[in-house]
Amino acid sequence: MITFLFNSGKMRKKLFIISSILFGALTAGAQNVSDLVISEAEVENETGITDSFGLHSGWIEITNTSQGTVNIGGCFITDDLSQPRKYMIPRTDLSTKIGARQTCLFFFNGPEFIGTFDVDFLLSKGSVIYLVSNDGKTVIDSLEIPAGLPADLAVRKMARDAKHVNFVAEADPAIPSPGVMNSDGNEETGAQKIAREDPFGGVLTLTSVSVVFGALIVLLIIFTITGGFFSGRFENPFKRSAKAPKAGKPDAEVAAAIAMALERELSGGDDVAAAIGMALDMYMDDTVHDAESFVITIRRNEASLWNDKSKNFRQLPTR
Amino acid sequence: MGHIFDSLQQFWQFTGFANCQWQNLVMIAIGIFFITIAILKEWEPLLLVPIGFGMIIGNIPMFPGLNIGIYEDGSVLNTLYQGVKQGWYPPLIFLGIGAMTDFSALISQPRLILIGAAAQMGIFGAYLLALSFGFAPNEAGAIGIIGGADGPTAIFLSSKLAPDLMGAIAVSAYSYMALVPVIQRPIMLLLTNKKERLITMPKPRQVSQRERIIFPIVGFLTTAFIVPSGLPLLGMLFFGNLLKESGVTKRLANTASGPLIDIVTILIGVTVGASTQADKFLTGKSVLIFGLGLLSFVIATASGVLFVKLINLFIADPARKINPLIGNAGVSAVPDSARVSEVVGRESNPSNHLLMNAMAPNVAGVIGSAVAAGILLGFLG
Repeated sequence: MITFLFNSGKMRKKLFIISSILFGALTAGAQNVSDLVISEAEVENETGITDSFGLHSGWIEITNTSQGTVNIGGCFITDDLSQPRKYMIPRTDLSTKIGARQTCLFFFNGPEFIGTFDVDFLLSKGSVIYLVSNDGKTVIDSLEIPAGLPADLAVRKMARDAKHVNFVAEADPAIPSPGVMNSDGNEETGAQKIAREDPFGGVLTLTSVSVVFGALIVLLIIFTITGGFFSGRFENPFKRSAKAPKAGKPDAEVAAAIAMALERELSGGDDVAAAIGMALDMYMDDTVHDAESFVITIRRNEASLWNDKSKNFRQLPTR
Repeated sequence: MGHIFDSLQQFWQFTGFANCQWQNLVMIAIGIFFITIAILKEWEPLLLVPIGFGMIIGNIPMFPGLNIGIYEDGSVLNTLYQGVKQGWYPPLIFLGIGAMTDFSALISQPRLILIGAAAQMGIFGAYLLALSFGFAPNEAGAIGIIGGADGPTAIFLSSKLAPDLMGAIAVSAYSYMALVPVIQRPIMLLLTNKKERLITMPKPRQVSQRERIIFPIVGFLTTAFIVPSGLPLLGMLFFGNLLKESGVTKRLANTASGPLIDIVTILIGVTVGASTQADKFLTGKSVLIFGLGLLSFVIATASGVLFVKLINLFIADPARKINPLIGNAGVSAVPDSARVSEVVGRESNPSNHLLMNAMAPNVAGVIGSAVAAGILLGFLG
């Protein structure tokens, strides 16, 4: 069966299209390295954070702005676009996965210190640091380090909108905050905000009730209009005129004529004629038409039990 | 001999008898009570039997560290509980509900949709009350959703807003859903007079398949654009309904409305029941939640009935008046609250069948409570 499916040319074409759509949807929806941002950098780190070797090295902070985990392994860090693959972040280290809205730090401590988060060149003032995608060409993000950046101060980008995390570069150097997402501190939860702004709940209640009613009023309007068309109260602009009935589907007069002709032919068979007449009537009302076009069907009624074997048993005489 | 005695003594320490506290016994008794009313009274048996037995499972006394308790990472129960905690089960249940619900009554009488909105006042009434009792806004929102009378929605929202209260909220929601006939009837009788109860309503018109196919698509686009935070519930509800109505995905619709919803109901019932461990459940807060839950049902029912009476003031044509007895059906306990409308209606006039008319606000209530949950999640999440 499966072989047959794959041998069929049409089926292969369909499978190809479906697979392409699925692949496109999955890759488009996946959290990827394009969600990474170089959010902070410090060059002259004299008293701040130390690297895994205990040194006060210069560092950059990379933030994952997405809502899913992103693996930064395989990406590159460089300060020279003519050498986009200057430092490759190891692919095989599990710690290169950055959680949603989390950060990681890379220390620039030179070639003699080897580690996943130890970049093999030094960070310098006046340079631009780039994060390059794992294709070795596409620049994901960059951060310009001012030539006059004072010691123990950092250049950073701030997320003014904590929900959408749009990072904007700041002009002035700031006190370093390595490992903490840079935002303006307005990260209170919805409940905290409501507790502060609407302690008695009146505003939220009125707003919510309005929205619930609003949503259902929209549905009411839509289904009043569509119901009007379908029930015949309004004229349906999409309905074809009576002179041009849908191919294969008889109009009411034709259906009535067929019913009368059948009734005449089936003299004595009142039940059959009635059933056909009813089927045609219901077909015209579009209440029994199912998936197959040009076929009139009578839905099987389980309740009739016409084929129930117990009904065919010989009845015992009753006294 | 002494060694055997020591071993037996050590074994005794492992047993439930040695670790038993009175709270465990209370919770086990509540579990047995749930099973009893489910079997004898047939009140929501599909939910109360799994929840009741889950309560017994979760309250067997034991000492921690055996990696078998529902709150112990990696245990079997804990793994199954993730569906509740992470909110996977409720949308799957909504898929099944969508696949088994016939929205024809609502499509044919769109004006009755608004009753489903009015009954959501129970949610916001309970929210205001919970705030006044000192609950934080996120906890109050989770408690308020009990008034939506929708178990999966209550679990979904409380797992996001107040996971610590989820057990009490879920048990409260399902308990009151089982008690809908008991709670709603006196309120309906109190708020209506005999003349109003005798109002007869026209039979809903027959709805074509085309209309039934359009409904889930348009309904989803409308509600999801207004409240995207309700996406998991609304998306699955309307998707399930499209599977049913499209006529070409009968196998999928049958699976969603049959085996899938049954499996998820078993898992959600047992794990929610097991999450009511005595030490986490028997608190003053739980008692308050039960009280507020009851009030939310009362408010929701009264709001629905009073809203119909209000609408009737603006309807001049007596033939188009709405029987206020279908107001209670805006509470989205499908189809129990619609059945209450039918029963109470027939008490006044045995030939007055309100069931089909009551189904319209009833299914509108499902949409309304999912929308309300989305709003609360958007504001308080």
